[in-house]
This record gives sequence, structure tokens and C-alpha cells, in this order.
Amino acid sequence: MKGLRLASIVAAVAAPALVWAAPAHADPDTDFANELHTYGIYGQKDYNAWIGKITCKRLYNGVDVDADKSAKFVFQQLQKGSTTEQAWQFLGASLRTYCPDKLPVLEAAAQQ
Amino acid sequence: MFIKASVAAAVISVAAMALPAVASADASDDYPIPNRILKTPCTAEQILAAARDVEPVYYERYMIDYNNKSPEVHQWVQDRIHWFFSMDYAGRRQYSEDTATNAFYENLAWNWPNWAKIFFNNKGVAAHTTDVCMSYPPDDMSVWDW
Repeated sequence: MKGLRLASIVAAVAAPALVWAAPAHADPDTDFANELHTYGIYGQKDYNAWIGKITCKRLYNGVDVDADKSAKFVFQQLQKGSTTEQAWQFLGASLRTYCPDKLPVLEAAAQQ
Repeated sequence: MFIKASVAAAVISVAAMALPAVASADASDDYPIPNRILKTPCTAEQILAAARDVEPVYYERYMIDYNNKSPEVHQWVQDRIHWFFSMDYAGRRQYSEDTATNAFYENLAWNWPNWAKIFFNNKGVAAHTTDVCMSYPPDDMSVWDW
């Protein structure tokens, strides 16, 4: 279980090369949706963007104190049947897209 | 004789049809305020904390709206919703009736029509928040600050 968690976090930290190769759009929500698609996460683009931004806000406000809490929050908002790994990937994409200054939270979790 | 009876029967059936046709605008046990909200033992702060976690987009939108109101309205909203949740089921049901039948009953609604949207407007949201609200602290006022 611990191994699974670590693998998930590592997956979250590493952005897929596919995304880097794709041209960046003026609209970060579109880039965010495109990255989510590479993880097999679909659903409404606006809804996912809200969740990504709110995930950042919860870290800024201290409602979520670490990446584990954030991943749990994200997991609750994903469609039923989503995996823990997808929650971590969603979290990584959220931080990269909407609050890169919070990426150290993810790195701290990887070192635990 | 037979014709007379038929006419009488026709008159009665017309009367029976006309009587229940009076329109009514009563509240129901689920409208305008969802049943779960009428019955929950949770405080407003517990409902808000639950919404923040299980209905985050709904909460976010409500708080954006809230943050655009004046400090006076903020106080009014808090006092009013505290008063609402301080009542028992019968009191809340009566309030639901009063707001459904009299558009002028809730003064606050004329100041901010969606003042209680996160509590009253959506049965699905009410179901999700009342499912878990008991696990949050009852008087954490920080949930109004978002």
C-alpha cells in the first residue's frame, strides 16, 4: 500500500512528456483538461477546472495541510471508479497549472 | 324521472370537479426548503464546512456571491441562518410555509435573493451536506471566511 502511494506521488510529480510537447494554449483550463485526458480523467472541463483551482485555494487557506489531504479531497470529487493514482495525477496537474508555487507540497509527500 | 336523475348527477359531478380546482401555493415537506434541512441537528457552520468538502463548487460560488456583499449583510445572513437552525422541525416547517406563501416574508431575500442558496435551494446538495455535517465542529466561524 505504501509502495502504491509512493508510485502515485511519483506519477503526480512527473508531468507527461506528451503535455510538454503540446503547444500551450492561452486558456490554462484547456491545457489542464488536455493533461487530465492523458490520465483517462474526463468529465466536464469547467467542473474539473473549478476543482483544480479550489485544490490550490485549500492549500493556501490551510484547509488542506499536506498533499495527502489534497489528494483525498480531489479523490472525493472525481467520478466513481476513479483510482488513487488518478487523484494524485489530478493533484499534480492542478498544482502545475494553477499554483506552481505549491509544488513543494508534492515533493515533500514524495520524500515521506 | 330518469332524465331528472341524470341532470342531477351531472350537476353534482360538475360541482365536484369545480371544488378542488382552487389553486394553492402551500409549502411541501421538501419545498421550498429540503426535508433534510428541516430535520438536521447540524448548525449552519457544520453545513458550510461539509459543503466546502463535498460540494466544493457549490460552496465556492456561494462564497464568491457572499464576498460581494457588505459586512452588514454578512452579519444579517449569519444571524438569520443561526436563528433558522435554532428552531425545531415545526418551526422550520412553518418558516418554509411562510416564505413559500408570502414573497414579502423574508426581508433579507430582498437584500440578497440567494442569501440561503447553499442551505435551501438544492435537495441533492442538502442530502450530501447533511450526510456528513455531524463530523465537523458546530461553531467554527472560519467557514464564513473563504
